[in-house]
Amino acid sequence: MKKIINSILFTCVALSLFGQLDKGDILIKNGTVITITNGVLEETDVLIQNGKITRIGKNLRTPSGTKEVDATGMHVMPGIIDAHSHIAIDAVNEATNPVTAEVFTGDAINPLDISIYRALAGGVTSSHAMHGSANAIGGQCETIKHHYGSYNPEDLRMVGAPRTIKFALGENPMRVHGEGRGIQPRTRMGVEQVFRKAFSEAKVYMKAWEKYNNEKNTNPKASAPEYSYRLQTLADILTGDVIIHCHSYRADEILMLMNVCKDFGIKRLCFQHVNEGFKVAPELAEFGATASVFADWWAYKFEVYYSTAYNASILTRNGVVTSINSDSGELIRHLYHEAGKTQRYGDLSDNEALSLITINPAKQLGVEDRIGSLEVGKDGDVAIFKGHPLSVYAIPQMTIVDGIVRFDINMDPADVRMDVNPEEDLPAFFLEVKEYDNCMQGVHHQHLFFHRH
Amino acid sequence: MKKHPTLFGLICLLVIPSFLWAQTNNDELRPVTRTYALTQANIVTEPGKMIEGATIVIKDGLISAIGKNVKIPIDAQVLKADSMYIYAGFIEGLSHTGIPKAEAQSGRGGRGGGPQAPQVKDPGSPPNDLAGITPEKNLAASLKPSDKSIADMRKLGFTAANVVPNGQMLPGQGALVLLHGDNADKMILKDQTAFFSQLVGARRMYPATVIAVIAKWRELYRQAELAQAHEKAYKKSPGGMSRPSYDPVLQAFYPVINKEQSVFMKASDIKSAYRALSLQKEFDLPMVIAELKQGWHVADELSKRDIPVLLSMDLPEDKKGKGGKKGGKKGDAKKEEAKKEDPFKAEREALEKRKMKALKEHWTQAGNMEKAGVIFGFSTLDVKSKDVKANLRKMIENGLSEDAALAALTTTPAKMLGVSDMLGTVAAGKIANLVVTDQPYFEEKSNVRYVFVEGNKFEFEAKKPAKKSDHNAKVVVAGKWTYSFEAMGQNMDGILELVDNDGDISGSITNTAMGNKSTIETAELNGNELSFSIKIDGGGQTVMIEYNLVIEGDNMEGTVSAGQFGTFDLEGERIGTPNK
Repeated sequence: MKKIINSILFTCVALSLFGQLDKGDILIKNGTVITITNGVLEETDVLIQNGKITRIGKNLRTPSGTKEVDATGMHVMPGIIDAHSHIAIDAVNEATNPVTAEVFTGDAINPLDISIYRALAGGVTSSHAMHGSANAIGGQCETIKHHYGSYNPEDLRMVGAPRTIKFALGENPMRVHGEGRGIQPRTRMGVEQVFRKAFSEAKVYMKAWEKYNNEKNTNPKASAPEYSYRLQTLADILTGDVIIHCHSYRADEILMLMNVCKDFGIKRLCFQHVNEGFKVAPELAEFGATASVFADWWAYKFEVYYSTAYNASILTRNGVVTSINSDSGELIRHLYHEAGKTQRYGDLSDNEALSLITINPAKQLGVEDRIGSLEVGKDGDVAIFKGHPLSVYAIPQMTIVDGIVRFDINMDPADVRMDVNPEEDLPAFFLEVKEYDNCMQGVHHQHLFFHRH
Repeated sequence: MKKHPTLFGLICLLVIPSFLWAQTNNDELRPVTRTYALTQANIVTEPGKMIEGATIVIKDGLISAIGKNVKIPIDAQVLKADSMYIYAGFIEGLSHTGIPKAEAQSGRGGRGGGPQAPQVKDPGSPPNDLAGITPEKNLAASLKPSDKSIADMRKLGFTAANVVPNGQMLPGQGALVLLHGDNADKMILKDQTAFFSQLVGARRMYPATVIAVIAKWRELYRQAELAQAHEKAYKKSPGGMSRPSYDPVLQAFYPVINKEQSVFMKASDIKSAYRALSLQKEFDLPMVIAELKQGWHVADELSKRDIPVLLSMDLPEDKKGKGGKKGGKKGDAKKEEAKKEDPFKAEREALEKRKMKALKEHWTQAGNMEKAGVIFGFSTLDVKSKDVKANLRKMIENGLSEDAALAALTTTPAKMLGVSDMLGTVAAGKIANLVVTDQPYFEEKSNVRYVFVEGNKFEFEAKKPAKKSDHNAKVVVAGKWTYSFEAMGQNMDGILELVDNDGDISGSITNTAMGNKSTIETAELNGNELSFSIKIDGGGQTVMIEYNLVIEGDNMEGTVSAGQFGTFDLEGERIGTPNK
């Protein structure tokens, strides 16, 4: 008991220290460093200063005032990245309209979400906090860093990461809007029309603004077109400022969206789930689209039956940048196991398998120059494992974000919640019951499909 | 929750007849004079400043003179205020006082409870009024002068309130309301005092979630910027230019854009507070963060950015201090349980510690804001009026200075609302909004004795000490008693007749409002403690009402409990011996 109280006291101190988000200094000594982009370096040190990796090498000198971590016998890898998650946000689906491009999960970051800590306990340092899949064009998503301990949502925002937006194909938007409310999209064809109509309107909108901006200085009678945050966001997709991340399963629809994108000149496209991606892997590679898949999760609805655990391997072998994601506050805790499955199903190499949860998701989020590998100049996001991370015996020991230790297995108190209701009567584990999954979170609350059978 | 069938019945029984009856009692006489002189008082003119033994003269709704040698006008009613304390009337920085509760609930409601969401043809793009977007709405239409909340707040010393309508994202305009009067328009001292906003979505239509609410905020703000520019240009020279939209929703944003009106953003929890701060920064909005409950994380930032706040007067309850919610188990079973080793003991203790720490953080919020140099008043959106004084004292016990507490109730909100020349301090020429107490206000046992709202006097009795029960006392219960209590805002009274047959108590009780008579049951006398119950028919179901009384001579007091409907304080007096 004394131990527990001590560790709680320590957490309180630690949390209060985390209040100011100073980037950290730390030297990780003598580990087996899996760089991802530059092979595996034995008995090597990684030095992080002011949140950035400044040196990787043997027998580095410890700068004064720098915390040392002994990683002898441990595996040191880049912080794991989840390209599809819904943790750490308070709103997932604005399911009231088939197109809600203007909403942004980054406006509802929840730094108090215990799932962040659980993700850290699995070595995950960044995730893509996505809008759900209720709408054909859902909301914009935020790439976050897992700074659990800071109350300020700004500290979690990965400043400089490109904007992304969630699209959805198939049954979810059809059910919510078509079946639930009798409006387009009622069919898979309808989903395509929602995209085409939205982009066409955005083009008209862009033209109108272009015209106004060109003449406003010379023509005092010019009046501005009505501002639309929604159309403006769609226009930003057309100009290449926003990466599309599209919830998808069936091969025919995947081809459909690539055709739509070709027609509108859109190049930055990542397919999410993409269970039938293996059928159209060469086409994906040719387009330059990327794929973020589950290791072996399917058959939870009709359009997800034709699936295989070889999906990630087939996509990789065809030259598609592929990642493995969680879409779940539970799976996110063991993405390294999920990646390991590709060695059983498809014989990927260690580096290929680990790339699925590091550099590849970084590329899909447009942040590969910052995270996803251990290289000098990159962010100090590191996961330290006892055992090889692809081994079923691997145990995460410590997780570091921007040089700050955010998880340490040796300082892991029972109650790590950041916010406690002083009036609560129940033990914590009764209070943290959440909807299990995830892409359709919040839709039932908005009650748009009572007639579902 | 399934609606209890008796709820409607009981409310009908309790409320409707007495409401009708109350009508006849409402014709109060006009006061003989509106000139008052309070003499020999301790006048706290503003936080930290007091004149002892001074007189204050009120005339025509204004403070006309203050001082030690003030001439008392011939038509003045003199109130001897020796040893009393006079303060400027308190101001609610943001409140729903005077807005009927029914309307308060029609806003959002929960799933399965509350009223139905309005039907709308296209939930993806509903009309603004159904989507909770009515920033142009004036307050007067929502204000109900007879609402009980006005009297409730007034008897605590509040004389003015910055009242905002209920609703969702943008419910409407606030107005500074004087807490007295029978005409909503006349009660409003200053209109358009607040652009009220909440991060609350509409029900089952756009914007339903907080992300859509914030997106909609951005879109409306930018549209309003363009619309205002368009209107200006059109006004100058309309020829050859398309007509502006004159959209009232967008027009309501203009004063905010021009920094002539502040957004009062309700943001209680820490996440909402940060979201409000982000929005403030994005548009450099003039903003007051209201009903703040977890502000200690942002105190320094608020201070640095000079953003004023209104702290919630609602504080979490210390459940442990009240003995928690245990019960039901008999003593033996409890002992048995205690003998067993509790495997979660350490965890439970750790949790208690964390809860205590969280409580402390709430209690010290106001004191910490003071220390951080944040400008703060109080808002009363969530607090129950009965908790206001105790919570203020709690904040003072936990580090808030009394001067800062008084400033937060008077000068700060007056300044925030731009009415410092009318309200906030006790000074000649200001509106006669005053609160008079028998001891310094923040003392536990102080009583509010008078409240003046624009020179209109409200007088209150000092609270008598509660009668003590004594199991050895000998009292006579037999006789005819009158009693009265207040339930759900309505006065209840009637006659209680008690017969004592060698310790066997029986009798009956009438209720004037309901016009019925009930036989008392299970009556028991223990010393001076009398308890009994009656059964009444509450809409087809029997409702048990329990009385627990203490008798002292010819007086009684105690409580009436009507199950889930609540417990009310009762007083009674003996008026005769029972008829044989």
